[in-house]
Amino acid sequence: MNATQQYLEQLFANGNLPVTEARNKLLQQFCQDEVNSKAVTEILTYQNMLMDKWQLFNRITTIQEQPFTIPNATAGKPYEAVIDRDQQGWVDMEVIELNGLEDTGLQYDAETGSITGTPTAHGDRKLVLRYRLQQEPEEAEPHEKSIPLVINPNPRLLWKNLGSDATDLYWKEDDIAFTAPLGGKLLVAASKRGRSHANTGGFRDDDIAYGHFGQTGWSVIAVADGAGSAPLARQGAKLAVNAVVNYFTPALTGDGLPELELLLQEYNHGTGADTQKKLNQQIYTHLGKAALYAHKQLEAFAHTKEVALKDLHSTLLFVLLKQFAFGYAVLSFSVGDGVIGLVNTDQTAAMLMNRLDVGEFGGGTRFITMPEIFKNELFYTRFGCKVVDDFSHLFLMTDGIFDPKFVTEAALEKPEKWQELIRDLAGENEDGKKVELSPDNTQVAEELSAWMDFWSAGNHDDRTLAIVF
Amino acid sequence: MRRLPVYLLLDTSGSMFGEPIQALNNALSGMMNTLRMDPQALDSLWLSIVTFDREVKEVVPLTELVSFQLPEIVCPQSGPTHTGQALQLLYEKVGREVRKGTTEQKGDWRPLLFLFTDGKPSDIQLYREMIPKIQSLNFAAVVACAAGHLADDSMLKELTQHVVHLATADSSTLKQFFKWVSDTIEQGNKSMGTVESLTLPAPPAELNLVI
Repeated sequence: MNATQQYLEQLFANGNLPVTEARNKLLQQFCQDEVNSKAVTEILTYQNMLMDKWQLFNRITTIQEQPFTIPNATAGKPYEAVIDRDQQGWVDMEVIELNGLEDTGLQYDAETGSITGTPTAHGDRKLVLRYRLQQEPEEAEPHEKSIPLVINPNPRLLWKNLGSDATDLYWKEDDIAFTAPLGGKLLVAASKRGRSHANTGGFRDDDIAYGHFGQTGWSVIAVADGAGSAPLARQGAKLAVNAVVNYFTPALTGDGLPELELLLQEYNHGTGADTQKKLNQQIYTHLGKAALYAHKQLEAFAHTKEVALKDLHSTLLFVLLKQFAFGYAVLSFSVGDGVIGLVNTDQTAAMLMNRLDVGEFGGGTRFITMPEIFKNELFYTRFGCKVVDDFSHLFLMTDGIFDPKFVTEAALEKPEKWQELIRDLAGENEDGKKVELSPDNTQVAEELSAWMDFWSAGNHDDRTLAIVF
Repeated sequence: MRRLPVYLLLDTSGSMFGEPIQALNNALSGMMNTLRMDPQALDSLWLSIVTFDREVKEVVPLTELVSFQLPEIVCPQSGPTHTGQALQLLYEKVGREVRKGTTEQKGDWRPLLFLFTDGKPSDIQLYREMIPKIQSLNFAAVVACAAGHLADDSMLKELTQHVVHLATADSSTLKQFFKWVSDTIEQGNKSMGTVESLTLPAPPAELNLVI
């Protein structure tokens, strides 16, 4: 049975004219008629044409409807994305060109289907993929599939540096840096407004104060970080650090702290009875009172100015330092997420001198403004005491330094992280910025200040770092 | 690095069909453009979008802003508003996605929640059951936005103290609202106490804060 006959038999059957066994011969004759067989051939040709057309139409629509995205790019950052036809099931596609990459700094490689380059501009682009299917003739009009491309701006270039309002009642300098001799050691410190504040013309919320009292040989260094969410935090931090220095000034310019000093000596020599206990009591008394004094000063300020105490929220950490004949005594207190670290002479060991108040969420810390910290049973854990022959570095830092340089609290317990920080300060960093910690370096404060501009994605808080070396 | 997780819960029930959903899409896209120009957000912001109608869908899982691709938000022509179910999904997501600080891991900033609706929950019982759970997640701020005269402010007041009422869900009002959302997001990564609520920026005149 030939194709014509087969087709007609099917046609007649569909039209309810089934060809019976007896009429088979007649159908053969019917097929031999040239007009009839030609008509069938034509019908079949048209049918095939329609089927092909439908298939193509359907295929293109499928491709057009298929969701397809490429990853976002970021200006200034090398980018690579592939329009992978195999993966998309577009094996029958012939790409003619990809439009829309003009002036972006990105190029399309038709051979590999990849988009590469480093974007020089940002914005939302609509790329247009022009293609033909293999079954289409070359002269056929190409189809267009649009592919959105987001190019993020380079975040580094978006930061603005707006000066803070110098006429503000509680204005303070955006950046400070200084050095101060502390007996046999030198203090270098810088406190800088973070990019997040510079971007909005905000104030530096960190603060630092120190005192060195030649008469008794004691030094005090206090660092504070005002809470970003508290409107007068900058003033809170300033009051807190000054309060600590002011609290100790009368005693340290007078008789010193004789009882404490004697206990430190006994402690070091291993003499006396209950020395540890008595020493703890002394530290608790002197440093605890200083902390409470800072709290009271803030409370009084809030009361006088009729502002809420929480508007002055600030962390506070401070150390008392003195060189004795037997070595150095370092005493500390802290509330908040600042860090006090003491690195030994040969830099093989580092001691974290304080317990950080780090909440389960970022920024959830404790402040000197919170009365409850003084009543808490863990208040005694806020103090530290270390007696050493000598040391290479004593660091005090706010979270603006701790977050980018150590990231986690666990890292503070690792000597290698402290060694890393020391090497970083010595110039091992991507900008090659160096702080030469030498008593002869008259530029050390400026160097530290410049070093503190280091870039760290996501870490744009105020930064304060004090180093005793 | 500290992330700031932000959750958007969007009402896509039948009443949003047509012009409102169009306006919502435009406003979202405007908000994305604003956020992308904020260097702080580019560094730390992570966003997730959940839509709710009869079905609750995680349209975009928690994704960092630099990689975020805004899909077109669509809605059915009719159907109920399963706000409670959306809160249920959110509760699971936050528990799973938001990183808490440990000695080995940096904690995220406290997350923010923005809920946008033009009606009232059809699943009131579940909605009310979820409220204390959502409040236990310690969001830095939960902002509920009621758009149009059919939206029920009092129901939203049960969830949060921050309820914003928009007279209409037209394009320019929604744009204003989502501009304010982006301003609020920009406030989100600051140190604060562990339980204090975020101070919201002043809303534009078009937004009525429901007291």
